Amino acid sequence: MSIDWVAFIAEGIKMATPLVFAALAALITRQAGMFNMGIEGMILCSALGAVVFAHYGNSVWIGLLGAIVIGLVTGMIIAFSSLTGKTDLYLTCIAFNLMATGGTVFVMYLLTGEKSTTSGAFRAYAVPTIDIPLIKDIPVLGRIISGQSLLTYLAVLSVFLVWFLLKKTRIGLRIRAVGENPKAAESVGISVPKIGYISFAFCGVFAGLSGAFLSMSWVQFFMKNMANGRGYIGLSAQNMANGEPVGSALAALLFGFTDSLSITLKNQTKFPTEFLNMIPYLATIFAIIITSMIAINKKRKIEKGMAKGKEKA
Amino acid sequence: MNKTQKIESVMEVVRILVGLLIAYGVALLTLLLISDEPGFIIQQFIIGPFSSARRIGSIVNLAIPFTICGLSMCFMYAVNKFNLIGEGIFMFSACMVTLVSVNMANMNLPSVVMVPLMYIVAILTGVVFAFIPAIMDRKFNANVVVVSLMLNSVIAYLATWVMRYLMLDSTIAYLGSKEIPESVQLPSILGSFRIQSGLIVAIICVVLVSLLFYKTTFGWKMRIVGANPRFATAVGMSALGVSFAAQLAGGAFAGIAGATEMMCNYTRFQWTVTTQHGFDGLLVAVLAKKNPVLVPIGALFLAYIRIGADVVNTSGDIPTEFVTVIQGIIILLVAAESFLSGTKNKLIFKAAEKEEKEKQAKAAA
Amino acid sequence: MADEVLRMQNITKIYPNGFVANKDITFGVGVNEIHALVGENGAGKTTLMKILFGMEPAQEGKIFINGKEEKITNPLDAIAKGVGMVHQHFMLVPSLTVAENVTLGVEPMKNGLFDFEGAVKATQEIADKYNFKVDARSKVRDLSVGQMQKVEILKALIKGAKILILDEPTAVLTPQETEELFEQLFTLRDSGVSIIFISHKLEEVMRICSKVTVLRHGQCMGTHDTEGLNEAAISKLMVGRDVVLKIEKEDPKPGKPVVSIKNLVKINAHGKHVIDGVSFDIHAGEVIGIAGVEGNGQTELSEVLAGLSDFASGEVKLNDTSIAGKSVREIRDLGMAYIAEDRMVEGVAGDMSIKMNIMADRFEKKEYKNALFMNEKKINEAVNQYIKEFEISCDGPDQPVRMLSGGNIQKVVVAREFTSGANFILACQPTRGIDVGTAEMIRKTIVRKAREEGTATLLISADLNEVLECSDRLLVMHKGKVVAAFPKANEVSEETLGEYMLGVKEMTQEEMEALL
Repeated sequence: MSIDWVAFIAEGIKMATPLVFAALAALITRQAGMFNMGIEGMILCSALGAVVFAHYGNSVWIGLLGAIVIGLVTGMIIAFSSLTGKTDLYLTCIAFNLMATGGTVFVMYLLTGEKSTTSGAFRAYAVPTIDIPLIKDIPVLGRIISGQSLLTYLAVLSVFLVWFLLKKTRIGLRIRAVGENPKAAESVGISVPKIGYISFAFCGVFAGLSGAFLSMSWVQFFMKNMANGRGYIGLSAQNMANGEPVGSALAALLFGFTDSLSITLKNQTKFPTEFLNMIPYLATIFAIIITSMIAINKKRKIEKGMAKGKEKA
Repeated sequence: MNKTQKIESVMEVVRILVGLLIAYGVALLTLLLISDEPGFIIQQFIIGPFSSARRIGSIVNLAIPFTICGLSMCFMYAVNKFNLIGEGIFMFSACMVTLVSVNMANMNLPSVVMVPLMYIVAILTGVVFAFIPAIMDRKFNANVVVVSLMLNSVIAYLATWVMRYLMLDSTIAYLGSKEIPESVQLPSILGSFRIQSGLIVAIICVVLVSLLFYKTTFGWKMRIVGANPRFATAVGMSALGVSFAAQLAGGAFAGIAGATEMMCNYTRFQWTVTTQHGFDGLLVAVLAKKNPVLVPIGALFLAYIRIGADVVNTSGDIPTEFVTVIQGIIILLVAAESFLSGTKNKLIFKAAEKEEKEKQAKAAA
Repeated sequence: MADEVLRMQNITKIYPNGFVANKDITFGVGVNEIHALVGENGAGKTTLMKILFGMEPAQEGKIFINGKEEKITNPLDAIAKGVGMVHQHFMLVPSLTVAENVTLGVEPMKNGLFDFEGAVKATQEIADKYNFKVDARSKVRDLSVGQMQKVEILKALIKGAKILILDEPTAVLTPQETEELFEQLFTLRDSGVSIIFISHKLEEVMRICSKVTVLRHGQCMGTHDTEGLNEAAISKLMVGRDVVLKIEKEDPKPGKPVVSIKNLVKINAHGKHVIDGVSFDIHAGEVIGIAGVEGNGQTELSEVLAGLSDFASGEVKLNDTSIAGKSVREIRDLGMAYIAEDRMVEGVAGDMSIKMNIMADRFEKKEYKNALFMNEKKINEAVNQYIKEFEISCDGPDQPVRMLSGGNIQKVVVAREFTSGANFILACQPTRGIDVGTAEMIRKTIVRKAREEGTATLLISADLNEVLECSDRLLVMHKGKVVAAFPKANEVSEETLGEYMLGVKEMTQEEMEALL
């Protein structure tokens, strides 16, 4: 059994793209103090939005814009329900994801008469891939770094944009303040719900990009339930890195590789596909266990007085 | 203060009813907008479900798994853990029941042995799978929602694998397991309504869970832990232990629901994705405000809309998926704290003001 | 009144649970005035100020600022109209710097981005102007409590506050810090800021305030000049009768040690030794009081004793059995009862009925069970008995606890804890924020149970009057250590106590042993 490792790595980076966007989306709401599981549904809606807008607008760029708009709108729906309606955020997100699963199929059916995919009815649009001059000619590296989707490069850039947003801008400062101590922010006249809405707006943009990648880059059509847990995986990725942008992106990359592993093994071995399909989900569960264990052990050690180098009293 | 309590409970009922009405209104509006013959379709949606004994029976039949899943989610919701593993358990329990019964087919055991045995299999399946997110929550404080959702995906693949590799019927044209023996196919009751015998199971479950919630120490513990876990700990309960146990119990009921559905409604296991029953259970539990006694009402309502959607699907080509949107709206409105809270507060304020005035009048006199 | 900067007129506030917090309150504040707002816990001071600061809406009433009627619907409005508030619990973001905290909400900008250097400069400027010594670049989580309070005041000043509300500012300060604060308040007053000073420390009110407004049970008892008034007169207005500060009690006849603590050490998640080698015994029949500024290890000590948290080293024995590794249930079965510091967090489950709350620690006992199910009849009998005995005013045992007043909620707590049959009562802030009558009942019960039933009690309280009057022996905690011990609590003066509480003085181990 021989595995093409270069293809595996290139595939891993590709599959990490929607996860990085998902992680960034989750991270911004987390910094504002909200655990937003609705990302899953937001990505799903955006993926449909992308193909619908691209089809009727006759352009991949309109599709991309459409995905972002849908991401924003769905983000606002969740924000409204949880911030203005004061519904438990978990419950809001579960309900929203439920609506997204059925709603996307419903809309798809109304527009195309199909219930599983738009591939027959809608023209395929793809976000262009980019060959980087010079690098594309380097043997192994060229195949990995060059020739990826424009959105993949945008994802890398976004990681730094988000870092900049949080650390260097006023809105970033306010988002962090609201997330850490909402009462403090409120006491100086910062509207906590308003910051919540803003962070959901940023979240919506990234969820939109994640969805757009799925339906215009990974494949060129929408299919039922195509987010397939990627929102939750992105959420876990940022959780592993405690909401730090770069760390979250690296964790998302790791999950991208598990996705790639599953795809590579499916293509190149005769393992039952059911078990290969489980890999990304099992990896997420293990990652959650490991990060939680590390956090708990650290706390326990300190409390038992075993941590050294800390001041006394 | 007595008045406050009354206003609160009356407003709670009003809130749920108004929430349902709004969602129902949205459903009608959707039908109005997308249908070519809105009048007929809306009529079908509203009264279609009652148009024949068969359909009324279908409502009840559909409400059976909703009820048991709703009870399952009541356990999770009571201790404030949105453990959604019920969704996966429902599927896997049906899968396990099929696997065990198919393998025992040649033993020709009677129903009285097989059916209880199947329920034991179902309960074990439920407990084992609920154990995973629950123990992770207890030991590592891992997010139970994300873990259970991830696990549901794993379970769906696992069940498909079991079907394809351990019990596939290669003689049929579609993907499905071998037929389950007749001894575990539960009969219909109540003649022309064709109501499934699962109704009896559902009723027993409602009674059991209601007693458990309100008449046993475990029920008290669950409710106290759900209301304030730190308080529960401070008075000597193991909040983690209680919520852990509640999640296992919830898993067991999800297992019972899956087995009941399998044995009443199918002869072969043929699911390759999860069935949404876990989420339906959550909706029912939210509607019932975690009160098991009210669960059947929530389940019947949900079943009624679903059958209505089925009716318009067959008679007007409207996809049934729109109901999930309606379902989401219901959860949001019923669970929204500020929905109609302004009205409630105004009423309470008025009552307090009146009381105050009466007091002053008394003092003056 | 021409020189009035603020007037609140006919303010009425009723909470959603029907509790009338403010009833037709009217009061005014003049220019260059430090105006005291006094009243017992729960008299409605904080609510009134939250209305002024736009954090709570009032159902009725008007607010005038500089003679003009203003609608204040949120803190932003209040800030824009020159009102600043320093909350009792600090409203700071620990991981951000002083400058970021101070400028939060009015951040200086440069090229569309947050200008950190500008924030530092602005903070330093305003700090220098009013003679506040803080380092704008340090993180708030590294500051002392006194410094945090300065950050809070700076936050208000940088937004141009002309009316500054201070909600119990000295509650968490050392005397030195309090002195410093007063100096700064005088400076502020002289530079044109009017200050509303909420407190129940009357000697502070007499010292720094020129006017005082008294609230009682949500009603205004009038505004008075402090000149020509004395503390006794104010307290009479506050309580409506002379405060009974003495509890009559005989000398204790201590029996065998019920609780014995040896070299207890607890380290928190940040690696700090929050309990640092504490040792003492509590004997049957005595009440031991622990005094100390809040945050010096008292909370952690009570959590360890209640079995709610682990400790790093040392030994704690209850009735001759070590509690290490034992669950709360096991410790309670050994004979511990626990009145929690924050009743809404650990004392009750607000949404549950009075019945479930009172029975929460004992419904699993055999006497309340009938084979599989609970014995409702027995439970109802017991609960009705408790409601009667502790005079809980309610509609019945099934009423949710959250609908009761603070005092009645605390009665539910003590109805459970005083009757659990324990011989060790751990009472943390047992009378915080409740009415005088209930407070008196609780204090008297604590002493009575010690004398008549031989209960060992550990009383941890921030209310000095309470620890001094109820305790037999008194310990003082500072920075996680016991720094002083007194054999007779009621003979200790508040001044002496203060010096130990604030770490000015410290007794040696030998001195303490000799005294006890």
